[in-house]
This record gives sequence, C-alpha cells and structure tokens, in this order.
Amino acid sequence: MDRRHFLKQSSLASSLFFVPSFIKAFENFSASSLGYKRLVIIQLSGGNDGLNTVIPFNNDTYYRNRPKIAIPKTDVLRLTDELGFHTSLLPLKILYDAGQLTIINNVGYPNPNRSHFRATDIWQTGSGAHQYIQTGWIGRYLDAYGNKPYNAIEIDDSLSLALKGKQTHGIATTNPEVLFRTSQDPYFKNVLKHYKDEHLSEHNLGYLYKTMISAESSATYIFEKHKTASSTQEYPKNTFANQLKTTSRLISSGIETKVFYASLGGFDTHAGQLNSQSRLLKIYADSIQAFVKDLKQQGTFNDTLILTFSEFGRRVKQNAANGTDHGAASNLFVIGNQLKTPGFYNELASLSDLDSNGDLKYTVDFRSVYATVLDKWLAVEDDAILNGSFQKLNFI
Amino acid sequence: MTQRHIQHLYWRAGFGATPNQFRTLTHKSRKDVVDALFSNSKTMLRLTVDTSDILPLVSKELLKNKSKRMEFAKRSREKLKKYNVIWVNRLVTSDATLREKMTLFWANHFVCQDQNIFHVQQYNNTLRTYALGNFGDFVKAISKEAAMLKYLNNKQNRKQKPNENFARELMELFTLGEGHYSEDDIKESAKAFTGYDNNFKGEFILRRFYHDDDFKTFFGHTGRYDGDDIIDIILKQKQCARFICGKIYKYFVSDTIHEKRVEELTNIFFKDYNIERLMHHVFMSDWFYEEANIGTKIKSPIEFLVGMRKTVPVTFEKTNDVLKIQKLLGQTLLNPPNVAGWSGGKNWIDSNTIMLRLKLPSIILSNAKISIREKGEFEDTFETYYNSKKKNRFVTVKVDWDTFNTQFKSFSANELKSQIIVPKLSDGTETYLKTLSQSSKQDFCVQLMSIPEYQMC
Repeated sequence: MDRRHFLKQSSLASSLFFVPSFIKAFENFSASSLGYKRLVIIQLSGGNDGLNTVIPFNNDTYYRNRPKIAIPKTDVLRLTDELGFHTSLLPLKILYDAGQLTIINNVGYPNPNRSHFRATDIWQTGSGAHQYIQTGWIGRYLDAYGNKPYNAIEIDDSLSLALKGKQTHGIATTNPEVLFRTSQDPYFKNVLKHYKDEHLSEHNLGYLYKTMISAESSATYIFEKHKTASSTQEYPKNTFANQLKTTSRLISSGIETKVFYASLGGFDTHAGQLNSQSRLLKIYADSIQAFVKDLKQQGTFNDTLILTFSEFGRRVKQNAANGTDHGAASNLFVIGNQLKTPGFYNELASLSDLDSNGDLKYTVDFRSVYATVLDKWLAVEDDAILNGSFQKLNFI
Repeated sequence: MTQRHIQHLYWRAGFGATPNQFRTLTHKSRKDVVDALFSNSKTMLRLTVDTSDILPLVSKELLKNKSKRMEFAKRSREKLKKYNVIWVNRLVTSDATLREKMTLFWANHFVCQDQNIFHVQQYNNTLRTYALGNFGDFVKAISKEAAMLKYLNNKQNRKQKPNENFARELMELFTLGEGHYSEDDIKESAKAFTGYDNNFKGEFILRRFYHDDDFKTFFGHTGRYDGDDIIDIILKQKQCARFICGKIYKYFVSDTIHEKRVEELTNIFFKDYNIERLMHHVFMSDWFYEEANIGTKIKSPIEFLVGMRKTVPVTFEKTNDVLKIQKLLGQTLLNPPNVAGWSGGKNWIDSNTIMLRLKLPSIILSNAKISIREKGEFEDTFETYYNSKKKNRFVTVKVDWDTFNTQFKSFSANELKSQIIVPKLSDGTETYLKTLSQSSKQDFCVQLMSIPEYQMC
C-alpha cells in the first residue's frame, strides 16, 4: 500500500486539517506532469574564489601564492587530509558529514573566457568558448519538455538567458503577489477578454498576445499555488535567503515547476577579498542551511537537487590589492539526498601546473555536469538539449 | 506621401514621426521626404559627456598605480551611466534621425563593450561618423579602435604569439558570416593584424616589433598584408555585401528575409559599399512600403522607450532609473550581452518583459493608472482598484503633458490612434477601445500605449 492510499484510508485523511503540506503537494501533482524531481540552480555571480572556499590547507604553493589572503591552516574546517572549508561554511560541513554534499573540483571548459558577461553566457547557454547561442540550457529543456513558463522559475526581477528557450521561456518573479497584481490590471483583463484573433498567432503580434495570455495565467497559477503553502522555518534576513524561502514555499505548494534559478552576487573580489568573501559565503551557507531544513520539514528534500556554480574561479596568485583576479576552472557544489558519491567527486587540480594565465586547468567540463543532471535527475535526453554528447558523471 | 507610409518610414529610419512631421510631410512626394531624411543627417554631431573632472586622472601613472587605476575605473563607470542616458536623450531629440538610427544599428553589428569612458566615447562617435559612409573605411576604422582592440583581444595579438579572436569575429560577425571562410583564412589574417595597439590617448599605433611582416595567403592571394589589405580582400567577396544587406533588410524591412530583394541590394552595395546610397535605395523601393512590411516588427526596448518619449516628453530625474528600465527590458545600451549582440525580434519578449512593456507607459506617464472608463461613464470605477495600490515609486519622472496636448490639439482621437499605433488593431482590441470614453486624449494615449499593438513598428 503506498502512502497516499494509506492516508486516504486512515483516519487522518478525514481531517484534512492535519495533513502536512507535503502530502497535499503530492496529491496536487498531476500524473501527466514532468515528475517529482526538482532542480534548484544557484549562481554565485562575479566569480567566486574557489581556492579560498575549498582550501588546500596542506599545499605550500597555495600559501606561497597568497601571502596576504590565504586562509590560515588553523581556521580551515577540515574535510580531508588535504582540503577543507572556509570558516563561513560550517553549515556545508554538516551537509558534507551527512553525505548530502558532493564537491566537484576543477569544473570548467576549454579556452576559458574571463569576462563576467561572456563567461556567464557560456555557463547559461551551455556553449563552447567560441560559440554564441541565443537560448539557455534550461530554456531548451523547456522547449523539449515543458510547455508553460512556470515550468522554470527564476527568483529575480528579470529572466536570465539560462531560462530562455526558442519557443518557451521561463518566468521570473521575486514576489508572486507582485507579479500577480501586475498581471491583473483591469485594463489588461479587458483587452484579453476581447481578444479572439486566433489567426494572428503565427505572426509577431499574435506572439505578443499569446505571451501576454500565458504570462497572465502563469502569474495567477504561481500566486494561487504560493498562497496555499506556508512554512515555519526561519531564514536569515537577506535577499538571497528570501529567494530560497520563496523557492521552498513554491516547492512545497506542489507547483509544476522543475527548475528554480537563484543567484547571489558580489563575488568579484579584486580587492580586500578576505572580508567580503567571508561575508558572502556566510550568507550563502546560512541560507542554504535554512533552505535544506525547510525542505526536510516539508518532506521535499529527497526530490530536490541543489546545484551551485560560479561563472569562473579566480587566479591562484593574489594581486597587490589583497584580492584575486578573474580565473578559470573552479569547484561546484551538488546538494541532495540521493548522491552517489558524497564528499569529493575528484581531486583538486595541480596548483603548479597552471594555464598560461596562471589559472587552474579544468578537468571536468561543466556540460558533463549538465548532461548528468538532465539525464539522471530530470530524466530527459541530454544530447539534444546540449547540442552534443558529453560524458556523464557518476554523482547522482 | 500617405500618412501611413510616413509613419512606416519614420519608424524604420528613426523612432516614429511627430505630429508636426505628419502635418508637413503628407504634402510631399516620397523622394522629397526621403531626401530630407538624408539631408537632415548630413552633419555629424559628436556625442560627448563632460569628462573634465576625470581627465586629470588619465596619466601614465595610471599604468603603475593600482589604486589610481581603481579610482579611475570607478569614476569611468559613473561616466558610462551618464553616457548611456545622454545617448538615449539624443535618440529622442536629435534631428539627424537616420544617422542616429544607423548608429544604433551599427552598435549592434560592430558589437563592443568597454569600461573606459574615453575609449567608449571615441568608439561610439566612430560608429556615428561612418554610419552612412563607406563600409570599407568603416571596418578599417573599427579594426583600429582602442575599445575594439581590447574587446576582441587584438592587443594581445603578436607575431610571436598570434591571437585569432579579432580575425575570427571580423569574418564571422562583421563582414562575411559563418561558413564563408576557412580556418586557414583566420590564421593567416590574424597575422596581418598583429602589432595593432593604441597609445594612451586611445589613438591607433602599429607596434612594428610585434607585427608579422611575412607573407600571408588569404582567399587565394599572397602578400605581405597588413590589416587594411585583409579588409580590402574581404570587400572583394560579394558575400560581404550580401551579408551586410541581409542584416540591413532584417533590421529595416522585415524579420523574414526576401532573397530576391536582398540580392537586389547586394548588387547595389557591392559596387562601392556606400551605405548612404544603399539606404536611399531601401527607402525609395516600392516593396519597402508593402503592407506586409508595415507594423510587423517587434520594437526593441530602446525603440519602444524612445518612441514613447517622442510622443510624450519625459524627464527622468535619476540616472539609475533610465538604466534600470533598460536592464529589465533586456537591452542596456553600451552593455551588449556578447559580441554577437542582441538577437532581437521575438527574443525580446518573455512573460516578464511583455508584462513590463505593457505596464511601463502607465507607470511612467500616469502613475501606473490605465483608465478603463467607458463611454458615458462619469464615475471612476477604476479608481478604487488603483487607489488600493501603493503609490508608484518605480521611477521618478516629470511628464510634459502640455507639449503633448499642444501637439495633438488639432487631431481627433481617431487620428491620435493611427499616429500612435502602427499595425492593424486586432478585432477584439479594436472593439474594446471603441467602448472606452475618449474624452481625455491623455488617457487615450496611455490606453493605446498599453496594448500589444503598441509594441510593433
């Protein structure tokens, strides 16, 4: 007897009042939908310094290259004999110890680009360094497998390229209520009430009307869903934590959203890196801690995979302003309850065998991570979405 | 010339016609109207922001002193924001409509992005200078611009260690299009551009020591070529004229390429690469004015914003508001997404941008209110809805309705409609607009700007 069936028959089911929201969510999810599994993508914007995040505390080269900004061995939260976390990442160490975190080292791509815009573009579109693609990898997933904007939601005011497909775009919102109110302007409602030119749908104008209609219905759907869910979990008071809180609330509402996209900015630490990175990593880790707790309470952690990346890492050698300049390959975090290789997925690349810019050489292509997630988590054809075949990894 | 054709011409060659233009131009022939468009754009007025306060920072010392460099970078970023704002203002107010529209077009062709205000300004004015000039001279000038040398890494392109980035994009994005050159062509031409650099003032210099003076074989020709020679060889390929004409057709005529007409343009352009002559031919062609081409393009965010401000003058009180709107709509001038530029068309539109585009005229012009008062209805039923909402603080603006009212005074509501909306209204929307009270031209203007049809040009 499955849990749903059990509940229906049990006395609990008769008083819906006591049914925890995760079971409601379970019931709301239609059979024709995309499945239960959800992906939460977090971008640390600006280029997070991976080497001061996961620190090679037994490596002399590391300390020699960073006389002013290396994290002292005594401060490191040790994970292995070689690598440990930045002090701010205690919540992540807890996840690591519980086997709910995989760290993939040296993720990057050939001929890395060191411009924020371009590197972000490359990560978001899943392109090579010399390719210009106008659709995002999640957008292409929507084209193939989604049909509604709300199948992928970015918790922001505007939509990133990552969520833009050829036919289907995701939708962005920081606040479902504001989005809803905007869409409910009486004037727009009246215009749409009168709209009936179906023959226009093939043209640009028809496309505008179609997008307007689907924006209105998506905004309403997201708002209605969001309203039904609640949570008692406390979150830190900052914008990033709020993004995750909204994400958790939407997840527990049973919304038919497969991908959530959030970001935390400010990692471009060219000067005075120690304080600013420490503060940002704390915001990140504390918010993740609250988020994971929340998901666990709602019973949705099992079906949620959290991916954290940054568009590039930073130079091994520190600069004169006690900061670091734009680098290349860096680490990527995978958080979840169904990890095949918890802990470190691979070893950190050599700090002495660097590329011509003095940056870490990549050993794992980021598109391999995407391919793995698409294939093993979202259970879709990764080749078509990534416009090519990438070797799959074994972390989920 | 009919009002509809004037409107079409002015939307494509500019950002819409003003009531005054509608009034005066309808009595003229197509040739006169088109000729006037070009003569108004004859002179080039540089666009500059006041940089006197940061000029002292620019000295050789900048190269050595990191903290001075950072100070300069910070101040330069502030200036770039200002430059963005005055560029948008220029688009709204300039009489050299066509030159400015072409400048915008070329900025999305020779895509470049930089943080140094002096270099950005110089680059921007180079685009403006050659906007209607000779395409060959244009490409050569671009290849020597400080901002471009940096953006596509040509500064790092040296005899000892060539960097092919510029050579590749020169052919792929600026002149020939993908698939019309070989990897060898890229390698050989990259050599010709070695040693390109700029001095402190942003002026071009060729560093002899880094320049590869050896023989290069490019498109079957061999010689001790430099960059200009390479560009001359590229110009001899008809594909170059074809590539540019295809882009011109897409931007100024229709998203849907018409092979025969592009070939017609190519034959003209290939003769002398004179951009002015090419554009003149486009705007004089009968096919340009076919109904299928009128009101069928989706406005870019800049076209949308500038067009709105040409109809109702608006002053933004905060620089950041102007930038915020561009960012949310997906097109911040001076900040292209990558060297391929904005792809435009349907790509401008997603659930978020469509809602913002529909809402923005009312947010800017009428405190987020769009009247739904019907004919013969005196009470403001919509007031209750809007009053329940918080006051608009999204942007701080001064709206000059007086100018609008004066300009549109002699026009009926129906004429207002046909001036503001380019495409044929969809049936339902047309029916709905008829039910609305048209007693206030201001209200009606906001209503018209708040329907999807307003997004088309």
